[in-house]
Amino acid sequence: MSENKILFNTGSFDGISEEIGKLASKAEDSRLKLTPENADSGLAKLVLTLVELIRKLVEKQAMRRVDGGSLSEEEIERLGETLMKLEMKMEELKKHFNLTDRDLNINLGPLGDLM
Amino acid sequence: MEMQKMIYAVVSVKHNQDGLTSLLAGMKGLGGADLFAVFHDEIAAVTGEIERCDFTADKSLAIEYAGVIDALFQRYPVLPMRFGSTLESSGAILEMLVRNRDEFLQNLDRVENKQEFGLKIFCDSEKLAAELRMKSEAVLSPPADPGITISAYREYINKKLKEHRLEELLVDYADTVIAEITVSLALLCAESRFKKMASAKNIIDAVFLLDKDVEIQLVRSVQDLQNKHQGLNFILTGPWPPYNFVEIKIQ
Repeated sequence: MSENKILFNTGSFDGISEEIGKLASKAEDSRLKLTPENADSGLAKLVLTLVELIRKLVEKQAMRRVDGGSLSEEEIERLGETLMKLEMKMEELKKHFNLTDRDLNINLGPLGDLM
Repeated sequence: MEMQKMIYAVVSVKHNQDGLTSLLAGMKGLGGADLFAVFHDEIAAVTGEIERCDFTADKSLAIEYAGVIDALFQRYPVLPMRFGSTLESSGAILEMLVRNRDEFLQNLDRVENKQEFGLKIFCDSEKLAAELRMKSEAVLSPPADPGITISAYREYINKKLKEHRLEELLVDYADTVIAEITVSLALLCAESRFKKMASAKNIIDAVFLLDKDVEIQLVRSVQDLQNKHQGLNFILTGPWPPYNFVEIKIQ
């Protein structure tokens, strides 16, 4: 973005450029670059991103239900156990495929980043 | 070498058809390509040749592409086309203009004498989260029952619940700021689009479509909002072509 397009800013131009640059590079990083050479890891990244998206959605919905007070203590305990084990299993899979949280992050448009 | 016609924008030439050809004569497209217009009725598609293999959108090409659209926008109502919009020939472009004429004209009327502005609002996310946490400690922490021993699973849920509630507080805060912006811009009759929490720091990413003569009032409104929210950094940019306010499904 050129400086002459900035109509109002109380911070520094370098600060904004850096922040906007980060947003742009995040968009670039979240692209899936599949080639014949990396088909295995590319597919693992795609599958794990989808699994992580579903896990996060399940977790969000679960927290809404806990917050809403519609679950018994016993149900909350079981939910805690399930969510904790899911998170641990996910960590194992990420380690196995050499992936980090950053690799699995995708931008969900109006919903923001997955992680 | 396979050549294609890249379409940069569709412009309204109802007020100045002859000027477009001379304007394009002084401009260059991607890779230094000559630009020319395909006319139909009161609209024209601005296009230039490009090699099929040049399509990867990198930063410098995107800036070059936006530069062409910006130059057109200074003189004509313009509908920017998405980067990489190509057809195989001028004849195909003409057919596309004919098929979509009504929709193009409708959108061109909507953006005539208007410009787009962007407002990004950044925060120090950790500082803001700490402030919200301090203000809402009672809401964030689930009540502890002294009679119950907390298991590891319940502790895990409590931790997740705290994160979830903090996230909700951040979204509520962004909603409050959006409501204030909406009220403040209502007088300027702006069309607006808001995106919340684009990143941890960029809590609001907004775009507005405004009449060309209200830029100064817009800057003043943003200044007032900035004064009210000292912990946030408001960045207003523009004027831009109406990138976010064109709604056409090209057939």
